[in-house]
Amino acid sequence: MIPLELYLLLASTMFTIGLYGLVTQKNGVKLMMCIELLLNSANINLVAFSAYQPNVNGQVFALFSIALAAAEAGIGFAILISLYRLYGTIDLDNINVMRW
Amino acid sequence: MLYQDYAYLIVALPVLAFVLCIFFGWHLPRGGGFLTVLATFAGLILSIGIFQEIYPDKIVHQSMPWFANFNVGILIDPLAIVMLLMVTFVVTLIHTYANGYMNGDPGAARYFAEAALFTAAMLGLVYSDNLLQLFIFWELVGLCSYLLIGFWYRKPSAAAAAKKAFLTTRVGDVLFLAAIILLYNNLAALPITLRPGEYLLQFPVIYAHIAEIPPDQLTLIALGLLGGAVGKSGQFPLHVWLPDAMEGPTTVSAMIHAATMVTAGVYLVARMFPLFYAAPYGLTAVAAVGAFTALFAATMGLTAFDIKRVLAFSTVSQLGFMMAGLGVGAAVGAFAVGVSIFHLIGHSFFKALLFLCAGSVIHAVNTNDMREMGGVGKYMKWTMYTMLIGSLSLAGFPFFTGFFSKDEIIVIAYEYGVVINFLPYIFLIAAAILTAIYTFRMWFSVFTGSPRSDYGKHESPWVMLGPLVILAVFAFGFGLAAQEPFYEYLDSNFEHYGVNFEELGIIGGHAAEGEHAAAAEGEEAAAEEEHGEPFIIQILPIIIALGGILLAGLFYWDKIKRFEPDRVTGENDPIRRILLKGYYQHEIFTQWFAETVVYGTALIMNMIDIKLVDGWLNWLSGWVLGFAGNLRRVQTGIVQNYVTALVLGIVVLVVVIQVAKVVIL
Repeated sequence: MIPLELYLLLASTMFTIGLYGLVTQKNGVKLMMCIELLLNSANINLVAFSAYQPNVNGQVFALFSIALAAAEAGIGFAILISLYRLYGTIDLDNINVMRW
Repeated sequence: MLYQDYAYLIVALPVLAFVLCIFFGWHLPRGGGFLTVLATFAGLILSIGIFQEIYPDKIVHQSMPWFANFNVGILIDPLAIVMLLMVTFVVTLIHTYANGYMNGDPGAARYFAEAALFTAAMLGLVYSDNLLQLFIFWELVGLCSYLLIGFWYRKPSAAAAAKKAFLTTRVGDVLFLAAIILLYNNLAALPITLRPGEYLLQFPVIYAHIAEIPPDQLTLIALGLLGGAVGKSGQFPLHVWLPDAMEGPTTVSAMIHAATMVTAGVYLVARMFPLFYAAPYGLTAVAAVGAFTALFAATMGLTAFDIKRVLAFSTVSQLGFMMAGLGVGAAVGAFAVGVSIFHLIGHSFFKALLFLCAGSVIHAVNTNDMREMGGVGKYMKWTMYTMLIGSLSLAGFPFFTGFFSKDEIIVIAYEYGVVINFLPYIFLIAAAILTAIYTFRMWFSVFTGSPRSDYGKHESPWVMLGPLVILAVFAFGFGLAAQEPFYEYLDSNFEHYGVNFEELGIIGGHAAEGEHAAAAEGEEAAAEEEHGEPFIIQILPIIIALGGILLAGLFYWDKIKRFEPDRVTGENDPIRRILLKGYYQHEIFTQWFAETVVYGTALIMNMIDIKLVDGWLNWLSGWVLGFAGNLRRVQTGIVQNYVTALVLGIVVLVVVIQVAKVVIL
């Protein structure tokens, strides 16, 4: 059986990549993808702990999380599409109306 | 049916007349003036009825709760009833006269409405049973005087005079209010158990507990009350509004000067006389203010050319007499109240008479300036003789009202001099000489000689002359008929409340042991003082009155003229100029005090306000605004920055928590 640490390592690696992308990337779609990475790294954690501690709660919670991620992605892409219609771009550096 | 059950109507009816006149007066003949006359006349009938019921040894006291510690009530004691009788009587005549005088004025309805309210306020003031209610009516009187002095408000000088009267009396009113608050606090601090129906500011309660209030507090209260009286009664230094109040219709001047306004101040001091008596320096201050004002105003009356201004200065001067009469009560006790109020009543008769006569003259001649009159007597016989009676009375000619009232004040001032200080006596004697001189300077230069300008020559209608004749009868006979019973009646005023003047006198410091000894010796000493020793004191006022009249005649009556006024005091005579300028009061009060001191202080205060008070506030708000302006640059609108901040924040939090864990555990 694969030790738990490896799962945790994978999850934190994914999380770090996602976070890095979130901070550095300008493209809206890429940001959405990074958010997915963050969410899924959390899901991996949930499932891994659930498997190692015989308890199905974590896996159920991961299912919820996936559904949530789907909804979030739907809304996020809808926002990006309307931003594109409005500005002709989804480069978030150019979309900075909510500032001082 | 008892008249006293309807005592409230004395005020309610004029108020009703006010309401009717102000709303419906436009549709009534002569502005509804008859309503005002009727309302006041009903008050007179009621007052007479009540007087008959309570004379000589009862009082009327009705009261009902108002709110908290206060009540509204009616208190008619000897002091109040004589005032009620005088005010209703004189004002009824003045209103009747006004029906003729104001005839044809487009604002007649407004005039009669305001005059009715004025009367109501004064009557309410007189029979209030507590100090707070008195103060409310006091303020109402002030308001009505403002409205009436500024009756011809389109005339700038009238508007200014009204404002001046209002603001000047306001100074006194603030002091009065302060005194009421102080008195209330002091009474509330005492362990008084009030019976049902008793309230702290009621006069009987105040009288009963004066002796328990600390003397220094009493002095403060007395000075505050005196401040109010000084403002209302036009005493120095707040007398400046009174001569200017001539801007209103003459009937208003008559009302203000004779019955309804300026007497309120004297009445207040008389009403609170036990408190003044108990307060160290209280009566001394009253005497000083009164005596000084009496002389001060009389000198200005000597030079005025406006007939109404002469009378105004004379009012100020006579009010000074009344104040001084109360003040010298330090030596003679409650007797002074009778003397002073007697002069007040007598003065209201002859001063109302003089003003109405002056109004009659002005009505015919159409000018106020005595230099343009002269010889008016040929055309206005009735006015001339009634005014002569008024003038003789004012000058203190023997057996006229003024002779009995004013000279009694001078006599008790002499007694005050024997016991304490002769200064008030000297001032009053000097003022009495001047009174005789300026009064007859006025009379001679208006009615005798030859016309000095082309004026209207006709006698006034009978609606105006009637009141003159009635007032003249009283100005002549009232003093002779009423003096002794009046003094006795008013002497009993404070006995109804069990005021112990000996005890109060010891607190006030003017009933020293020596005087107690004298009192123990009985009436003898007093009798000696009054009748035996100072014969010259008794007849000096007569000599003064006759001498003053003669002197005025030598200058101004063409039949016996010996001196030319202009030769004695030329145009450039410094004293004459000072008097004409009214001691440069306008320059001192307005130009120096108001425009330099007050305005300068205001400018400095304004600078301080802008630079200091506003300054640091503006600096603070400026700093906050600048800081926020820098801080908001954090909101870049770039999502990545937000995320970075978020992550950094979490990292910092985690580190802090870990470190804290290690440190604490």
